[in-house]
Amino acid sequence: MDFNAFKEIAIAQAQQMGIGEYELYYEGSASTSVSAFQHEINEFSSATDGGVCFRCIVDGHMGYASTQELSEAQAKQVVIRAADNASSLESEEQEFLCPGGLEYAAPEKKDIPLPTTETLIHTILETQEKLYAADPAVIDGCQAEGVVESSEIAICNSKGLDLHHASKRVALITAAVVTDGKEMENDYQIKMGALPEIDTDAMVQKAVASAKAKLGGEPAPTGQYPVVFDPDAMSSLISTFCSIFSSENTQKGLSRLGDQEGKTIAAPIVTLVDDPFYKDGAMRPFDAEGCPTYCKNVIENGQLMTLLYNLKTAAVAGKKTTGNAFKGGYDAAVGVRPFTMYLAPGDCTEEDLLAKAGTGVYINSLGGLHAGANPISGDFSLQSAGFLIENGKKTAHVKSFTVAGNFYDLLLNITDIASNLEMPGMGRFGSPSVLVKGLSIAGK
Amino acid sequence: MIPREICQRVLRKAVSTGADYAELFAENTGNHRISMIGGKVDDITDTVVAGAAVRVYKGLRSVMASTVDTSEAGLLRCAEQAAEALGQGEAQIDIVLRERLFGDIHPVRIAPDSVPNKEKIDLVKQGCFAAKEYDSSIVQVSGGMLDVDHKILIANTEGVYAQDRQIRTRLMITAVAEKNGETQTGASNPGRRMGMEMFEFIDPKDVGTRAAAQAVTMAGAGYCPAGVMPVAIENGFGGVIFHEACGHSLEASSVAYGLSQFTGKLGQKIANEKVTAIDDGTIPNAWGSINIDDEGTPAQKNVLIEKGVLKTYMIDKFNGRRMGMPSTGSARRQSYSFTPTSRMTNTYIAAGDDKNEDIIASIEYGLYAKQMGGGSVNPVTGEFNFAVNEGYMIRNGKICEPVRGASLVGKGSEIIQNIDMVGTDMDMGQGMCGSSSGSIPTNVGQPLIRVSSITVGGR
Repeated sequence: MDFNAFKEIAIAQAQQMGIGEYELYYEGSASTSVSAFQHEINEFSSATDGGVCFRCIVDGHMGYASTQELSEAQAKQVVIRAADNASSLESEEQEFLCPGGLEYAAPEKKDIPLPTTETLIHTILETQEKLYAADPAVIDGCQAEGVVESSEIAICNSKGLDLHHASKRVALITAAVVTDGKEMENDYQIKMGALPEIDTDAMVQKAVASAKAKLGGEPAPTGQYPVVFDPDAMSSLISTFCSIFSSENTQKGLSRLGDQEGKTIAAPIVTLVDDPFYKDGAMRPFDAEGCPTYCKNVIENGQLMTLLYNLKTAAVAGKKTTGNAFKGGYDAAVGVRPFTMYLAPGDCTEEDLLAKAGTGVYINSLGGLHAGANPISGDFSLQSAGFLIENGKKTAHVKSFTVAGNFYDLLLNITDIASNLEMPGMGRFGSPSVLVKGLSIAGK
Repeated sequence: MIPREICQRVLRKAVSTGADYAELFAENTGNHRISMIGGKVDDITDTVVAGAAVRVYKGLRSVMASTVDTSEAGLLRCAEQAAEALGQGEAQIDIVLRERLFGDIHPVRIAPDSVPNKEKIDLVKQGCFAAKEYDSSIVQVSGGMLDVDHKILIANTEGVYAQDRQIRTRLMITAVAEKNGETQTGASNPGRRMGMEMFEFIDPKDVGTRAAAQAVTMAGAGYCPAGVMPVAIENGFGGVIFHEACGHSLEASSVAYGLSQFTGKLGQKIANEKVTAIDDGTIPNAWGSINIDDEGTPAQKNVLIEKGVLKTYMIDKFNGRRMGMPSTGSARRQSYSFTPTSRMTNTYIAAGDDKNEDIIASIEYGLYAKQMGGGSVNPVTGEFNFAVNEGYMIRNGKICEPVRGASLVGKGSEIIQNIDMVGTDMDMGQGMCGSSSGSIPTNVGQPLIRVSSITVGGR
């Protein structure tokens, strides 16, 4: 049974039960992934995934139920379960569905061509050989990997909304493993985009060079230092703490920014953007409720311009939604999250930041973000790797140390921002290199 | 779930191009989650995860295809896709499936999906209200209950045809305390591989009180000082140190590819002689327990390290081929759409003979980590990190003031040499472990231990 047939049965069931306000949300994907070990493809997988979420407003409450099984029985069941779940809810906030007939921005989207499986395999094997050829320090265990995915989302509801969005994605990963005979180190690169446009030579060189740079490093010395975060490290901090900008969290007392709109929460050079149409991003014209998305400055010159809202949290605050409704999977409840969030670039170079820091630590890798960072208190204490900064230059490699601070303070303590904006990994969060004064380093 | 004859036909299709092994994994899982915040039920979501995956091997190559269509036609298409991706060849093996029965070592009395929302909500409320009433500095409490009914079927060309029903239940309470404009959190999240009978011995009020007490203690605490020092790590979730520092590096998914600091070290002394570490999927109704793993191999108790000597790895079938070693019942996957690999179940450092008071008294200046948070590791280098959610300074052999914001980092192969005192009272804590085959429930455990020297990240 396909989604449309499922939808009709569910709608009939809802009408039969006298449920007037409902929504069906469908997410589906088909993906292929290929990875190499030594000189051949050792793992290949192709997967189709996805499911349907039915939600409905009963007595003012929004109940949810989802399934991956598209059958007649399940189409009826999700409606019955969602209504039952709604009847147990107690929250007092008003619930909304997105009205139909709204206008949506059309992203200037170049459709990424998906490679054939043969082409993908060929590229992976070729890239794997490049890894081995890049440096004699490279050993078995290095891995080229490719993922091709096409996905679609559909939302329709009882208010006439009927939206559909399809997207395609190609990602390549080069994971380098190197040794100096005494220890092993590794690093990896991820790039997304049309396959012919991905520069695998550059990815291989960067992964191998980063892994090699780590060989033989020592922990950084314990103390208070200015810290330069590279784009990777700063993007992962923004990703970890982005929930502080969610109105859902401020309204629940889980973020300190509840009464801070219009106030200064960051250094005057800080501008933080959420852009659903960022080039090479996911480019989504509507959010998880079906509301139009748009680009906005969350922080502008240090001032908190707006929190991120969905229909429900906006109504509580007496504002309009910012189109930031988010679902962490087809079966999740609607929450709030940025789409593509990045720190706007400044106009100096990374070398300028190093020169200004004088003596400090350059961090290009952070670990354990799910554990060592608390988005409610803002505190973080994180495993780090990078370089010492001495006389305004990067010197010895350092690793196995921690950097500790508080993200709310860090926003105020950013003294300089470079121009090298990057969107690492899956491209949902980005940053240039930044210089932050006075963070605690624990090492030797 | 899927009749044996259909499984047989699907496997025949899967090996039609010359695979030397094929497997069908199918699941139908009900997930049900209740969330509360501010004393009110906020969200209830439930979902049915249903699908299947066909995996084939030829030598050291593996191909997997998965689908949400579990009709016979859908499964045959999936098998054909896997067979085609493997390449061209002739069927080489014959398949006879025998139904494999095993005793259920994790019996469940009250299936959660048969219990109405109202009863579950009452339990969550007891926990949330106990937390809120604990202290006037508690400004917010969130709580939830998660129950999972995971039904799996595995059929493979070695003749296995087996099914299991893995039910688990978890209560989660997080409290936020505020003092002087600063917020701190405390959490307690007990879970078991059982149904609602879990609440016959876990009182939700105790769970709420534990979460609140931790938040209040931490809100009043200063920052943990930074540096290298001895650390005493309490039992229960403290076992996350072994899980991160050593456990992941003993999984075949790293070892088979030479990507572990412990590759090729079987029979060698890799840890302090005080350390005996075990991964045991057979502990009745423990959070990480299973009857069979996700390749159909019965769960085992595996002694990984005995008195410091490496005895075995945790191995799944595919990586076992590369290593020339049999499965240890360690193959696990979050769901059908993930390729299974070797993972932990209930992993712990066994009880030793040091008295708790002696361990604390032995530390002149250091940290007592009463409650640990999560962590992560890079198995290639062994570098790990984890958070200390509730810590206290130790001075002159006595536990002193609480400290917040600490984390511990180090290199696994060095830290397990530094575990030089092991207490007597082993206990376990529950976690979700994330890795290439998804997020799975695992227990970590240990008695109180002393790590003679480790880097403490603080301020």
